[in-house]
Amino acid sequence: MDERILVEQLKQGDETAFKQIVETWQNMVYNTALGILQNAEDAEDVAQEVFVQVYESIATFKAEAKFSTWLYRITVSKALDHVRRKKRKKRFAYVQSLFGADNQTIIEKPDFNHPGVTLDNKERAAVLFKAINQLPENQKIAFTLHKLEGLSYQEISEVMKSSVSSVESLMYRAKDNLKKWLTNHYKNNN
Amino acid sequence: MRGKQQIQQEVDKILDSLEGIQRATANPYLFTRIKASLQKEEKSYWTKAFIFISKPAVAATAVVIAIFINAAVFFESGTKTNQTSQESEQLFASEYNLSSDSIYDATIDQQ
Repeated sequence: MDERILVEQLKQGDETAFKQIVETWQNMVYNTALGILQNAEDAEDVAQEVFVQVYESIATFKAEAKFSTWLYRITVSKALDHVRRKKRKKRFAYVQSLFGADNQTIIEKPDFNHPGVTLDNKERAAVLFKAINQLPENQKIAFTLHKLEGLSYQEISEVMKSSVSSVESLMYRAKDNLKKWLTNHYKNNN
Repeated sequence: MRGKQQIQQEVDKILDSLEGIQRATANPYLFTRIKASLQKEEKSYWTKAFIFISKPAVAATAVVIAIFINAAVFFESGTKTNQTSQESEQLFASEYNLSSDSIYDATIDQQ
């Protein structure tokens, strides 16, 4: 069914339309969140939050933008919020461990393996995801949307509400930073 | 030199390792989870409001605002009382010809 009709039906509170929206875009939302968060459980939580927000704020959606662009925006912002929340918790746990208030040990994050990566690329992709995690937020978003979701620079600029040239610059800097990080990593581990 | 080239090659391979990546698929029960979450949210509207009010930051802000309003009212009424008492003193003085002008005038008259 046409996305505009689905959106209109959801605006009128049609649950079947909502179910169809979730089924149509759930993989897109989940995959984007997974790329940013690099954790399956967190990505699932964020995907859930995204669709709850879609249901609650569909009235604010204007047909000027593509529905998928709007969804990407919500997903990116929710995923970034999740990352920040986790970082805050981690810092708090670290401070607590310094004062010995909590005996919990801080568990190091295991390597992330994206389920869609081809078998022969698994190890290399795990290193690349580690490197992506070191990038500044904007570069990480642009790189993830381009590489994982296959979005063009034009589409990324619409999601990030910026110009195509600034996305190009973000991608250039992201690749440059990744090269530096990977070179250092390779030198230190061999 | 060869080592540097090797590193470069490996870095390039790592950067290309996401080529041909497939989209990850979401949990098939995602919609059920979303529905449950929406129903839970509807129920807990008042609980959410209570949680918001009882947040330390919100509570502290409310206390500070209350103190500020109290202080403002207190000082405002203090200056008003001062003004009113001055006004009534003047009124009293003029009523009984006690203002300095009138006493001076009265002395001049007596002379």
